[in-house]
Amino acid sequence: MNQFILYQGKSKELATFPYISEFANHKIQNIQLNSQEIKPSNGIRICFITEGKFDWIIDGQHHLLYPNDTSMTCPWQSMGGSKGFFDIGSLMWIIIKPKVFEPNGELTLGDWSGISETDQRVIGKILSLNKKPILSRLKSCQQIFQNLETEFFAKEMGYRTRINHLIDELLITATRHLSKQDNLRRDFPQTFLKLEQTLRENLSDPWTVEEMAGLVGLGTTAFTEKVKAFSGFSPLNYLINIRISEAIKLLSRKDLSLTDIALDTGFYSSQHFSSTFKKLTGYTPREFRKME
Amino acid sequence: MDCLLTIDVNTSAVKIHAFDMNGRVICWKKGSYPTFHPQPDYSEQDPEQIFITTLYILKNLLNEHIHSKKYKVRTICFSSSMHSVLPVDKSGNPLGNAIIWADNRGVKEADSLKSLPQSNGIFHTTGTPIHPMSPLIKITWLKNHDQDRFAQTHKFISLKEYIIKQLTGEYVIDHSVASSTGLFDIHKLKWHQDSLDFAGIAADKLSEPVDVFNNDLSLKKEYCITLGLSPKTKIIIGASDGCLATLGAGIISEGKATITIGSSGAVRVAGKEVLRDEKQRFFNYLLAENYYVSGGPTNNGGVVFEWFARQFGEFSEGLEFEEVLNDLFKEASQVKAGAEGLLFLPYLLGERAPLWNANARGMYFGLNISHERKHFVRATLEGILFEIYSIGKILETHRNFEDIYINGAYASLPLWTQILTDMFGKTIHINDNHDSVANGAALLALTKLGVYANLEAAAATVKSVETYHPKTQNHETYMKYFKIFERLSYKLSDEFEEIGLLQSRGVS
Repeated sequence: MNQFILYQGKSKELATFPYISEFANHKIQNIQLNSQEIKPSNGIRICFITEGKFDWIIDGQHHLLYPNDTSMTCPWQSMGGSKGFFDIGSLMWIIIKPKVFEPNGELTLGDWSGISETDQRVIGKILSLNKKPILSRLKSCQQIFQNLETEFFAKEMGYRTRINHLIDELLITATRHLSKQDNLRRDFPQTFLKLEQTLRENLSDPWTVEEMAGLVGLGTTAFTEKVKAFSGFSPLNYLINIRISEAIKLLSRKDLSLTDIALDTGFYSSQHFSSTFKKLTGYTPREFRKME
Repeated sequence: MDCLLTIDVNTSAVKIHAFDMNGRVICWKKGSYPTFHPQPDYSEQDPEQIFITTLYILKNLLNEHIHSKKYKVRTICFSSSMHSVLPVDKSGNPLGNAIIWADNRGVKEADSLKSLPQSNGIFHTTGTPIHPMSPLIKITWLKNHDQDRFAQTHKFISLKEYIIKQLTGEYVIDHSVASSTGLFDIHKLKWHQDSLDFAGIAADKLSEPVDVFNNDLSLKKEYCITLGLSPKTKIIIGASDGCLATLGAGIISEGKATITIGSSGAVRVAGKEVLRDEKQRFFNYLLAENYYVSGGPTNNGGVVFEWFARQFGEFSEGLEFEEVLNDLFKEASQVKAGAEGLLFLPYLLGERAPLWNANARGMYFGLNISHERKHFVRATLEGILFEIYSIGKILETHRNFEDIYINGAYASLPLWTQILTDMFGKTIHINDNHDSVANGAALLALTKLGVYANLEAAAATVKSVETYHPKTQNHETYMKYFKIFERLSYKLSDEFEEIGLLQSRGVS
């Protein structure tokens, strides 16, 4: 297999792809000190292990990676070899620089991507909330990396389009796997509890069904059905109930204004908050607060 | 047409049923909420979430099925799970989440009460086993470990009382839920001073106990308007889910027992007298004045089989959890009674009745080289049911019962019912109602409304639709294995304690 490391600004192959800052297929035969220091990922970094065993520290946590494992990290997450160098083995990686990617999950990949805005938001959300950056045994990533390599060096007609597509494909494959691996069908109640906790921790976000479904690795149809069967609620109504439950708690704190409470619990205005609250409880938040 | 609603606030969901005046179900709806485990021994629920879920389900059920079909709601009757504790401040605001029955944080408090001379008196007066599940122990825990919250608490209430307070503005507790707190004298129907002293509270920290038929409460005006209910709608306070499930299964007097297996399980009998067990293995809860429901609860019901399915079920080809469970039941039915000598102790969650040992743990016993996977499946199921049988067997030393009535999602599965029938060697009946708790609440309400003369008449309306008869040969096989099962459960108490200690210390 060919070995290479392409850098944006240095390698001409990347010149037409300004959003790719690195692309590599790398074999390590001798240990070289400081060859992989711990530093921020500087983009969405996806690494696929083909040979060997790598001992990495990602976001302060030790991870052992074996062949067919993939790591996926966000721009603000640090990663590197636990001893500061590459272990012996082979791996491939790519660093994609999105136009916008904030730790709150806001993601705009750029004009090159064919992924819809909605799906980009879902991907951003899943990646930013993810606490386990390792995708274990995801062999399909290897094929995508190999196809990318072929396209980059052969430069056949249409290779620019192909490369853009392949990177979209890689992002979708990896993100889907990420949301699925911790949410097995065998334990929907557990999955549901985790979703509930995530929603409560990020209640001020304007959640969509796509985002919630994506987070637990389900399609929106299956997700809506399962939530309905399990909880009796549609996903959005379930979310509204959590918002109102939290709001009632905050209402007893007299130092908070209704607008603050509304925004904290994910309503887009105090009017929206008031009308939803009244529809459900019969009281406006102001009346409810006075009663107590 | 008139109808009545039952609202059951249980551990995983609120279930609301509408019944016509003949006790037939018109429609029902449920809404779930989660249990949070901020620490391994803790089990908590968010009171606001439960309240909002209740309100939401109530509103939708009324709009979709009741108002649109011109039904008029005459009364609403409540039931709930037992043993929850929610401290609230002067304004009625919850001070944190509710601590529910499954919470075990008070192990030390329970042990310390057990070592005191008044513990026997407290147990027999209150009917509630001295165990971390009991609100008596939970409040004591708060006193010892969360002094700020304890000091700020205006009242210690249950989730049911919280929902009722929200809807009506009043703090009241029914005798039935009160009888599961460990703080209530089930004979004199008032708060028990020794319990109050142990918990370090005065009686005014608890709600006013009222009869289960009490209908003095009415909905707040605003709720009448948003829900579209008449201000004259009577609120019947109702009872606890365990007692109502027993009534709903048609059991109100001696000679019959009921087995419930959902995620946990219980065997219960009913009667006009309390059941006095010197070893303190059984509870005595009040269904209504002069009606007692007695029995023993197990932690390890369907939840243990679900555990097994998650670990060892075949999840290939996109099968859903229920399909995997069904496949396992099929596999289990291919093995003869007794699983060819493979036994399983199901104590994955420690155990309440009859061992009352929080350190009890699970075990497969009797394994030999010819046992296959399917034997494990069968043994797991039989182990769960042997535990139910062991409660029933001891209960029988106090009360005779010839007929058993089944309820709960698991107990009514054909394979489960047949194994239970063979173990007990008695006839087992399946009732025509799909939800015994709701049915019990409806029977209670209809009795109050005068449709039935008394609870006996109400209970008599429950019909069995299917009857299982024991197979003698299987019964004999089970009895041989049960002897070993029972001996192991008691013999291993030293080892349970040791392993429990190592596990809680996190020794790997």
